[in-house]
Amino acid sequence: MRGSSFGYLVKEGIKNIYANRLMSFASIGTLVACMLLIGSSLLLSMNVNVVVGHFETQNEIVAYLYDDVTQEQVFQIDQQIAMIDNIYDTIYLDKDAVLQEQQAMLGDLGPLLDSLEGEENPLPATYRMKVTDLAQLSSTVMRVEAIDGIEMVHSPDQVAEVFVSLKNAISTGGMFIVAILIVVSLVIIGNTIKVTVFNRRKEINIMKYVGATDGFIRLPFFVEGFLLGLLSALISFGLLWLGYNYIMEIIAENPSIWIEQAYANMIQFKDIAYRMLSWFAGGGIGIGVFGSMFFVNKYLKV
Amino acid sequence: MIEFINVSKVYKTGTHALNNFSIRIDRGEFVFIVGPSGAGKSTFIKLLMREEKPTSGEIYVNGQDLIKLKRRKVPYFRRTLGVVFQDFRLIPNMNVYNNVAFALRVTNVSGREIRNRVPYVLGLVGLANKSKSMPEHLSGGEQQRVALARALVANPSLIIADEPTGNIDPDLSFEIVDLLSEINKCGTTVVMVTHEHTLVNEFNHRVVTIDEGQVVSDDRLDGGYYIE
Repeated sequence: MRGSSFGYLVKEGIKNIYANRLMSFASIGTLVACMLLIGSSLLLSMNVNVVVGHFETQNEIVAYLYDDVTQEQVFQIDQQIAMIDNIYDTIYLDKDAVLQEQQAMLGDLGPLLDSLEGEENPLPATYRMKVTDLAQLSSTVMRVEAIDGIEMVHSPDQVAEVFVSLKNAISTGGMFIVAILIVVSLVIIGNTIKVTVFNRRKEINIMKYVGATDGFIRLPFFVEGFLLGLLSALISFGLLWLGYNYIMEIIAENPSIWIEQAYANMIQFKDIAYRMLSWFAGGGIGIGVFGSMFFVNKYLKV
Repeated sequence: MIEFINVSKVYKTGTHALNNFSIRIDRGEFVFIVGPSGAGKSTFIKLLMREEKPTSGEIYVNGQDLIKLKRRKVPYFRRTLGVVFQDFRLIPNMNVYNNVAFALRVTNVSGREIRNRVPYVLGLVGLANKSKSMPEHLSGGEQQRVALARALVANPSLIIADEPTGNIDPDLSFEIVDLLSEINKCGTTVVMVTHEHTLVNEFNHRVVTIDEGQVVSDDRLDGGYYIE
């Protein structure tokens, strides 16, 4: 293909967008609407996940050691805990540290516990462990209990259960909704493109009769699909950005502590902007290009 | 130039469109193909343009074996043909000039040649002063002349006209066939399908009658214009 022809075909593609502006508008409108719906459901479920995840990590397993464990045994316990994958953060407090902590908590009354220092200290040395996956809490607890030298383990089983089911519901529900939206979008967009191509079947037909190669006929449609997809991606990205930041501002102004804590953990749009944009652009361009190629091919069989 | 040897075409619906159809049309001939509806004229045209493949038989057009011609080579074969349809098939949102230039643009012709060829061909069909008009503002006869210009612009060795006068006034029909005859005098082969007998009788060209998928008469010798 000579350069001038390529340029001509690309120009044709761009011109076609304007010449068929009503259809172009419909395609962009549909694509934007679909991407906005998918994008906002994605953002919502991502955020809920992050926030729930944050509260999830606040849960600790607490293990108390026997009074008579030696320094060497503590070292071994350390190693065994380190081998448990689900535990990502471990704090060890020896007997003195636990006492100090208790004293600190009592504030002014702290000195009351002074007499318990040293040999008299009844408080057990303690491990506080944070788990990555609350769903595996009970098995993790069992492994910790099995370690030599550990007397007792406390864990928030019931809270864990609630969080696990909540998180599961959100991610399956979110995935489900996004999947439905994607299917619906594909059907609507496919239809729009089909109508666009159908309106121009005469043109395609004539091109075939005068001896245009299939590649030649496809190129303007390719350019058109590409540009419509890209344009839709940019518009929906922009709208989503504005909308998201607007909602974030409303949340930020809310005085509730619980919401404040959640807000601190919520995803900032700029952190996922690039990813979002590339998803949108990829999806929009992909649908635009493959949609038009698919339907153009139907009319190429002359 | 064109040779059909024992060609049969059976459509998936079971219709036997052509039965053992054979014809030979030489370079520079002007042939009218006539016959009642359903005789197989349209199928003949479709096979000629390689829009369809025959069920059996051999077809040679412009030196190409159409049975063996690969799908991706079809566009290059079509560039050696010029086609005119009953319904003109102009692109409504392009003016006359662009409708003609379009045929060259989509076949990789340079911009300079397009600017040379298009006005020349429009002059040939007598539409030099209408190059900026839109198809809807032209009469049927004029539209068909634009279509003819489009068929001619790539300088094909064969012009296929499928009922080119079917949608235009009888007076103007004569004009179109006259134009085709002029083109034919310059050496271009013309195959024209029609069922307007009066028109056929006004010109001294070879007339092939098709019925039920076969050639029933071929008055090749009556034709006044024939080069062996």
